[in-house]
Amino acid sequence: MNISVLLKQVPDTTAKISISNGKVDEDSVSKWSMSPYDEYALEAGMQLKEATGGNLIAITCGPERTKKMLTDAAAVGADTLVHIPIEGVKDSTHIQKLLAAAVERFDSSVILCGKQAADTNGGSTGPGVAELIGAACVTLVSEVKFSDGKFTTIRPSSSGIEKVMVDGLSVFAFDKGTSELRRPNVRGIMMAKKKPIESISSDDLGVALDSSSLVVNSQSPPPEKPAGQKFEGAEHVGEVVLKLRNEANVI
Amino acid sequence: MRIMAYEALDFYDVDSLLTEEERMVRDMVRDWVDEEVIPKIEIACREGVFPDEWRVALGEMGVLGAPLKGYDCPGLSYTAYGVICRELERGDSGLRSFASVQGSLAMYPIWDFGSEEQKNKYLPKMASGEWIGCFGLTEPDYGSNPGDMITKAEDMGDHYLLNGAKMWITNGTIAELAIVWAKLDGVIRGFIVEKNDPGFSAPEMKGKHSLKASVTSELVFQDCKIPKDRILPGVKGLRGPFSCLNNARYGISWGALGSAQACFDSAKDYAMSRIQFDHPIASYQLVQNKLSWMLREITKGQLLAYHLGQKKDSGDWIPEHISLAKMNNVDIALEIARVARDIHGANGILDEYPIMRHMANLESVKTYEGTHDIHNLILGRYITGIQAFTRGA
Amino acid sequence: MDFTVIAEANGDSLHPTTYQLIGAAASMGSNPTVICPNGTGAEEAAKINGVEKVISVNGDCFNIFDGGAWASSLSSLCGDIILISASPNGREIGSRIAAKKDIPVIQDVTSMTEGITVSRPIYSGKAMESLTITGSAVITLRPNSFEAALAENNAPINVVDQSADVKISIQEAINKASERLDVTEADIIISGGRGMGTIENFSHLEEIADTIGAAVGASRAVVDEWGMPHRMQVGQTGKTVTPSLYIAVGISGAIQHLAGMRSSKYILAINKDSDAPIFGVADYGIVASWEDAIPSLKSALSELQS
Repeated sequence: MNISVLLKQVPDTTAKISISNGKVDEDSVSKWSMSPYDEYALEAGMQLKEATGGNLIAITCGPERTKKMLTDAAAVGADTLVHIPIEGVKDSTHIQKLLAAAVERFDSSVILCGKQAADTNGGSTGPGVAELIGAACVTLVSEVKFSDGKFTTIRPSSSGIEKVMVDGLSVFAFDKGTSELRRPNVRGIMMAKKKPIESISSDDLGVALDSSSLVVNSQSPPPEKPAGQKFEGAEHVGEVVLKLRNEANVI
Repeated sequence: MRIMAYEALDFYDVDSLLTEEERMVRDMVRDWVDEEVIPKIEIACREGVFPDEWRVALGEMGVLGAPLKGYDCPGLSYTAYGVICRELERGDSGLRSFASVQGSLAMYPIWDFGSEEQKNKYLPKMASGEWIGCFGLTEPDYGSNPGDMITKAEDMGDHYLLNGAKMWITNGTIAELAIVWAKLDGVIRGFIVEKNDPGFSAPEMKGKHSLKASVTSELVFQDCKIPKDRILPGVKGLRGPFSCLNNARYGISWGALGSAQACFDSAKDYAMSRIQFDHPIASYQLVQNKLSWMLREITKGQLLAYHLGQKKDSGDWIPEHISLAKMNNVDIALEIARVARDIHGANGILDEYPIMRHMANLESVKTYEGTHDIHNLILGRYITGIQAFTRGA
Repeated sequence: MDFTVIAEANGDSLHPTTYQLIGAAASMGSNPTVICPNGTGAEEAAKINGVEKVISVNGDCFNIFDGGAWASSLSSLCGDIILISASPNGREIGSRIAAKKDIPVIQDVTSMTEGITVSRPIYSGKAMESLTITGSAVITLRPNSFEAALAENNAPINVVDQSADVKISIQEAINKASERLDVTEADIIISGGRGMGTIENFSHLEEIADTIGAAVGASRAVVDEWGMPHRMQVGQTGKTVTPSLYIAVGISGAIQHLAGMRSSKYILAINKDSDAPIFGVADYGIVASWEDAIPSLKSALSELQS
């Protein structure tokens, strides 16, 4: 069984984001990490691999620096490492097409990914890839299991959680998983060092990347917070709650 | 989800010189220390225990005996070994002491001086953390002067009989085996003593104000009988223990930096948040002076440790190189801890902050593995050719 | 550009976000078509100002949520610009419709102006991105970011039957009181300190937390002295948290506590001592006792919810 896991490298969620010339300055990012929800997808993929004896394929689209993340995935057990080089930010539609082509090229039996990336916070990739390959998709899952030829998963429901079974090929987009994330160990690291990374270009995948119909105008720091406001007396609570909604937009 | 990832002070990007393998090992240990050690270390320190889960985790990660090759040992570079020590000691010096003793003082002598049978019997179990080892050199009356030790081994034909006592032995009480240095016919030899050997006991030394999350013991030999096959065949004299100590001291030169970095980080964060006279204390010149000094010393120490690691890996080193690094890096780390405590004000005495724990630990680190002054004299002898340890030749 | 709004339901009626989606379309000078999956809320939608027509879609596929099936059913009914709520289901349907139509999807937009120019938070709110859409697109809108339309209309409702293949099935539904979130996971945290008086009084904070889906945190004093579980402790020796909103009740704001929460996006402090250091870091401070403030907070928040 080929278990494809879609991984994205993002600025570490604790890293400071600095803006220059109207764009997020990637060069100033001090630490790049695997997007946190993708880590849960990788862990689930490893558990599926161990349960079924399958082959775990870690796939990423990104510049040269993303190869380190693939090696890190190998250190916890990924078998095949696939790098699709792209330079510059591409919109989600492009990425989805590249990933969909890669997933099909490797004849995937199941595809796992994080529910959304920590940089774009979009969440379009999983369902988008599913659409392009004609597969089902279940999002916000916390685990995936395989038995009797079918995949089952757990996702939230209006009254708690529900166990869902899927017919056929599916993408599973992970929220925080129920399992602890496994650590690499020295043996894994030494083997990962030797693992080759397959580089497949968009041409190899037969994907033509047309220019996007989206124009990024700018990236900017969040709007300045207004100065702290202090109110005397509980009679102001209602007013403050409305400010939390209308000014701060946090509830 | 992985919690706040730690970003180590690395002003001159010394870590960018690490190989990919060394970087991955660093990140593995760093993440583990963040998740499993830092949240629990203050309790471990208060209770004076070394959590057994840490032994298990170090074994699972595969970092014990880092630079040793073969026999299921990691086979990493010396630079990687240094990085491991640094990352562990950012958590606690006692934690790093466990790993130093296990790898450099207990596994290494078996690896370098043991018989093939001994290597196969002990090394794999020690690499996995299943068996803990300790190192018995220091005695109650023989510390800086190990050559005059009085622990004795007698050849009784079908066994050896050991008599004497060792003191200040990290891991002693929890160890399955001890590498004990004793005089056999006046010549220092190494012996593997197992915990159930008759006449052997390892009582814990209590009441420490330093390295509290580490087990420190006495090793007592009262007509302790050990089989003949327990002698380390490959070495005679002080070269045996000193070879081990060189490796441990090398690890400590990196480890001390981890402790210094932890103190620097806490001091900087505290100075940025603590408001007095309406401004953060980080805005006052005397505080900036202290932080700047810490930055300089840590940066110098990093370059020293990294280059030493390269020399260890290429084989182009002498013990005096290690003396310089151990002495310097531990000395500055202790001073940094003290100054960091000062920056924290009264808050610095609480175990809410790691400062005084590091400070107290480093007092031990400055004394063990060759005191500061002994390393000083080792360098003095190197420079002048004249030993100044004792009166007379 | 013609706008289509895909309605979001809440039980048998429309979720308030649907009113916001329609309001947003109207603010762009459009009279949107509203699509109601499973027909839910179709009559209600027809009454909302600005709506040109409602398409009530019938299909077995709407009995459970299979994003692929819903998208399959609804996609062909959509126009050029498709507005959906940025709820989890909305984002999923939006992504699939966009991929099906080979058009971009822009998620979690917080403002929209002529152009069509939209803005959205990225890097978990550490930055904002402004984009201009030059062709067709799916846009999901963050709840409560757009003004809701009023309801004085009477639009026509077309009923269509359009089901699609469902590829998933529910094996087991496990009802459980959702566990309260842990402080490290929650986007909103309400924390109590010594000012709460007794550990029993924390039940008031817990009620509020349950109302708004927040986690409950505690200061060190409360953990050490009253036996609150350590995992709730926020601060130097507890957890470091970065929620969008941190509500500190009866917490003075000692440096050790601040160390754990000062990176919160917004801080609301409620304390009866006007000189409490917490007011130095709070975006919104209310000088009042918890006994006075908490009941008002509870009712104000409940009102917002409905």
